Amino acid sequence: MKSEFFTVLRSPVFWGAIILLALGPFVLPSYYLHIATLTLIYIALASSWNIVGGIGGQISLAHSLFVGTGAVLSSALLLKLGINMWLGMVIAALVSGLMGAIISFIDFRFRLGHLSFALITLAFAEMGEIIVIGTEALGGASGLFLPKDKGDLLAFQFGSGAGIFWVMLTLAVGAILINLAVLNLPLGFYLRTIRDNEAAAQAIGVNILRNKTIAMVISAMFTSVIGTAYARYLTFVDPYQLASPVLTVEIVLIATVGGLGKAFGPALGAVLLIPLGEILRGKLGGSLPGLHYFVYGAVVIAVILATPRGLLPALQSRLASWRGSAKSEAKKPSIAAPGA
Amino acid sequence: MAILQIAGLTKCFGGLTAVNDVSFSVEEGEILGIIGPNGAGKTTLFSLISSFLKPTSGDVIYLGESIVGVPPHVLVQRGLVRSFQIVQTFADMDVLDVVTTAALSRRPMLEAEDYAGDVIRRVGLGGKERLTPTSLSLQDKKLLEVAKCVATEPRLILLDEVMAGLTLAETEAPLAVIRELNRQGVTVVMVEHVMPVIMRAATRIVVINFGEKIAEDTPATIVEDQRVIDAYFGELVDA
Ligand SMILES: Nc1ncnc2c1ncn2[C@@H]1O[C@H](COP(=O)(O)OP(=O)(O)OP(=O)(O)O)[C@@H](O)[C@H]1O
Ligand SMILES: [Mg+2]
Repeated sequence: MKSEFFTVLRSPVFWGAIILLALGPFVLPSYYLHIATLTLIYIALASSWNIVGGIGGQISLAHSLFVGTGAVLSSALLLKLGINMWLGMVIAALVSGLMGAIISFIDFRFRLGHLSFALITLAFAEMGEIIVIGTEALGGASGLFLPKDKGDLLAFQFGSGAGIFWVMLTLAVGAILINLAVLNLPLGFYLRTIRDNEAAAQAIGVNILRNKTIAMVISAMFTSVIGTAYARYLTFVDPYQLASPVLTVEIVLIATVGGLGKAFGPALGAVLLIPLGEILRGKLGGSLPGLHYFVYGAVVIAVILATPRGLLPALQSRLASWRGSAKSEAKKPSIAAPGA
Repeated sequence: MAILQIAGLTKCFGGLTAVNDVSFSVEEGEILGIIGPNGAGKTTLFSLISSFLKPTSGDVIYLGESIVGVPPHVLVQRGLVRSFQIVQTFADMDVLDVVTTAALSRRPMLEAEDYAGDVIRRVGLGGKERLTPTSLSLQDKKLLEVAKCVATEPRLILLDEVMAGLTLAETEAPLAVIRELNRQGVTVVMVEHVMPVIMRAATRIVVINFGEKIAEDTPATIVEDQRVIDAYFGELVDA
């Protein structure tokens, strides 16, 4: 593990921000607490996706499959078989991990290019949604209703808005820390070489199948866990929301806007886009139908055009050049170029 | 002992036979030069040895075992590494990160980064650790090709025209690295068009023309060989 990881772990700014956020439920009115919770969910989802899609450069559109498995399977196990949702969460995560491994293997075996990989993962996600909708035991098209959240921790219930908010905060921080860890471990180096040039990666000893699979399994399992918590938050488990590829598109959009492959990039994207989307819907949703989508789309296009590599890298280079110019500013007197 | 034996190696691309029944051995500890006109099949031969291509027929024996069908990354673990004639870059990774990844094939994370720093300085890329491919010259990228290979700590290294495009003076740094590696026991097979370099560096030379081996001898004898002069030096003089 490279020391950068521990630098963040020891950083008072990092923990200070988390503690500040954790105080959210005490000060935020419920509508804003809802937006904050949703933002945390998407920070977690986009950061998990980033392991495969950003660091590893494999544009997976299969992730709704893992969210859906985490949400629907654990809920169905509880409602149909009475299996504790904690155990259901673990089972769903294992199933998601297995599906991730199978997808990686198919990708490797048939040497899929980037486009075929994206399309095939999308096809898997579509199939997943259809299977859920067509299977009565999984709630079918009408979905599943979880029992009311009475705050019984042992039953995967976290109580009021505050409890589930803290769960989502933990998951969001966890997902970011996993990204940081991956980037500072050999796995991150391997994934980045695979992303940039597979043949050249192999030529310096990188095992393509192994590393892509590990990334996919980590990402799928964590995404599935987030899916279970998301289901608990929503109480109504709607397959058209939680198992739909539209969800993946949102995740990919957030990660891309924030900055692919960076530990904090997807988080930045979520912090910008989720509140924006929610507030626009709140303010404009009642007026002209579709207007809020239009404004949201315009903002996304503007941000992507202005910072094609994502907001975070753009901010970082802006900061670096500002620091650089501050330094040269400070040096100026000693240079004392005549006539300058 | 022969570290590498090539036996009747053939590669066809459709109707074109790029490598045709080539056999030779590489002795442990030598520097073997491979020369031949453009399109002779030298790069294809390297791709066959390093398992990036599957031979149509024939065998490649490394350390006494056939390695046909063994994936390239496994060969790197076993100490066989190749460079690419057409430099292969990683768009979003800086020099240090790329060489560190190569070093990770034998060392743990923290050690790998230090060792990569060493290798980068040795090949003459010191000070350019944090540059990405967009700000590297072609020469620097060639040196990076060498650094990547060296950082995997190979037993046998296949270098494909790593000096092409360098001035004779610029070849000194990579050549010194190759010689130093060789002194430490690393076997080197190098394809090179820069004649003064290969004549000085190689202990033995294999000449390839139209996919076939036409000669194999010491540099001094090779330059006298009539077939070689016709096939190769003739072409160079004409060109
Ligand atoms: N993947 C491929 N598919 C089809 N033909 C190929 C392929 N790779 C190489 N060839 C052909 O095989 C022949 C040998 O090419 P190769 O690159 O091995 O030559 P070379 O000796 O390395 O040449 P140079 O000195 O220009 O690098 C050429 O005619 C080339 O066009
Ligand atoms: Mg060549």
